[in-house]
Amino acid sequence: MEALTALFAGFETALTPINLLWALVGVTLGTLVGVLPGIGPALTVALLLPVTNQLEPVSAFIMFAGIYYGGMFGGSTTSILLNTPGESSSIITALEGNKMARRGRGAAALATAAIGSFVAGTIGTMLLTFAAPAIADVAVQISAGAKFALILLAFVTVSATFGGSPLRGLTSLALGLAVGLIGTDLQSGQARFTLGRPELLDGIEFVTVVIGLFAIGETLYVASRLRQGKPSVIRLSEGAHMNREDWRRSWKPWLRGTALGFPFGAVPAGGAEIPTFLSYTLEKRLTKHPEEFGKGAIEGVAGPEAANNASAAGVLVPLLTLGLPTSATAAILLAAFQGYGLQPGPLLFVTNTELVWGLIASLYIGNVMLLALNLPLAPVWARLLLIPRPFLYAAILVFSTVGVYSLNNSVFDLIMLAIFGVIGYGMRRFDFPVTPAIIGTILGPTAESQFRTALQQSNGDFSIFARQPLTAFIMIIVALALIVPQVIRMRAARRGG
Amino acid sequence: MQDAPPSPSPDAPTSTRRGVSVPDLLVALGVTALGVALLVGSLQIPFGINAVVGPRVFPLIVSVGMTVLGALLTVNALRGERAEPAVEEDIDPTIPAHPGSALLILGGFLLGAVLLPSLGFVLGTSIMYFSVAYAFGERRLLLILGVALALSLVTYLLFTRGLGLALPAGVFRGVL
Repeated sequence: MEALTALFAGFETALTPINLLWALVGVTLGTLVGVLPGIGPALTVALLLPVTNQLEPVSAFIMFAGIYYGGMFGGSTTSILLNTPGESSSIITALEGNKMARRGRGAAALATAAIGSFVAGTIGTMLLTFAAPAIADVAVQISAGAKFALILLAFVTVSATFGGSPLRGLTSLALGLAVGLIGTDLQSGQARFTLGRPELLDGIEFVTVVIGLFAIGETLYVASRLRQGKPSVIRLSEGAHMNREDWRRSWKPWLRGTALGFPFGAVPAGGAEIPTFLSYTLEKRLTKHPEEFGKGAIEGVAGPEAANNASAAGVLVPLLTLGLPTSATAAILLAAFQGYGLQPGPLLFVTNTELVWGLIASLYIGNVMLLALNLPLAPVWARLLLIPRPFLYAAILVFSTVGVYSLNNSVFDLIMLAIFGVIGYGMRRFDFPVTPAIIGTILGPTAESQFRTALQQSNGDFSIFARQPLTAFIMIIVALALIVPQVIRMRAARRGG
Repeated sequence: MQDAPPSPSPDAPTSTRRGVSVPDLLVALGVTALGVALLVGSLQIPFGINAVVGPRVFPLIVSVGMTVLGALLTVNALRGERAEPAVEEDIDPTIPAHPGSALLILGGFLLGAVLLPSLGFVLGTSIMYFSVAYAFGERRLLLILGVALALSLVTYLLFTRGLGLALPAGVFRGVL
């Protein structure tokens, strides 16, 4: 019940007029960028980082949390009305939701997505409320070796376990790690990979990496393969709403989706993609209307959307309790914490009680705001999809420039931005996922420091990673996470071929 | 995962039978070369004093890893594997790519970036805005120009006046 007391104190922080305002700003921005193509919550938080320097940390994180959840709500609008998923976790929503919209059931699809997201987000936040302090209590005692092993686990699950090709995911991760190496080594003061440029002594700002890989890379890539003609957006004349039958068919998928999504987010096991697929498969098996699947079944929207949002809440568990990000947005939130001189992890619950609980409380508030913002205003958000692409992408590029240039007022940073833009273009063209590179850049230096601390404690004896039971246990999971999916894939290939 | 819906590229499994793709091979060799370059760079980092694990151990691990990954990618590319370009909002994967648009944006961006300190933020980003809008197929040039200037100006005022960031005024020094 300690958690409840702390949560009530958190609500006192989150319910002040100024923080409510920041939460509203966050959820509105989040929905906006979720709806708009070419820009997502990770990029938005990165763009806003330089701007938030003047802001209280609590207010900044309340806004960021709103953007994080809001992006998920807005993403379903795009998937349903435009049939183009912004991220892989929205593929299913695009599949069934767009078919529903084409049959004139767009309002119901949007409603089941929004209410399902609300249900999942709220339950997920409740689970976070109780799980996080418990995990933090345990996590305070873990050694540097175990922390390194945990980071390794996050690396492997994010880059290799799921997704198309583990090789490409790991390459992306290695690229991120290499970028993270650039600059002065903090423990020895030794300059590394600076190519003699004084600008590189402080390392490359991760904001430049993130904005380059996401925004500039996306702009270049879309420009090279732009869809001709106007996007076929389905018109929406009314707010999102459901009839009695829709409710009857949605509530169970919401709950099942939540149950699938949260653990996948929390474990850390590769983000929101898998649980949405699993939820879709499950609903397809359990439904009384199998003939509708593939043609716009409401269960196929309700379940995956809930799974998607529940896993987003789950991702916050390892982020807040262990300092481990397992999605791109979480990695940028981690960097935002570091920017304020805070290290997410078990100690955060002891040293920054007000911030952590204010943040968690704001998640409940943000969810309510998002529901209010998305149901009646659905047609307004839908209209955003009609913004002409030349003007939209040009604006994204200008905002990216502001975000990076305002860091140091340096043209060198803009050149770096262009370089990472080209790399981002190449990664999209050659099917390398971007998220592992982001996580490698942000978490790489922490990984190195834990690695070296562990080895210093053992006087350079590498067996430290095998002798401590907890560390060894996590290392075995890391190895399994690398090997098992390959075996499954090879078996499937043999059976299939 | 077997029950996952069909992937956006149904021809992916057959892609291994189409001969070696030169761009894919070049990318794989590029990754390998980057790994080797990192390895050479790592070996130049001094061991560090008074440290059990110096500043070069971790870079060595990363660069060896990158080299190995690059070699594996090269093997795959030689066996005929080719990457499927990402499918995203606003793109049409079926049409041939026109890299000229991307180059136009890149050129406009670099020009705007280099001129930004002297011309000022508003004009510098206007150049960038113009090049993107043009590359995305907009041909109403005066309209782009107007929107570019208006958006850059509003952004400039918002960030300098509203948020207290220092952005260069350039030729508008004293006016803005």
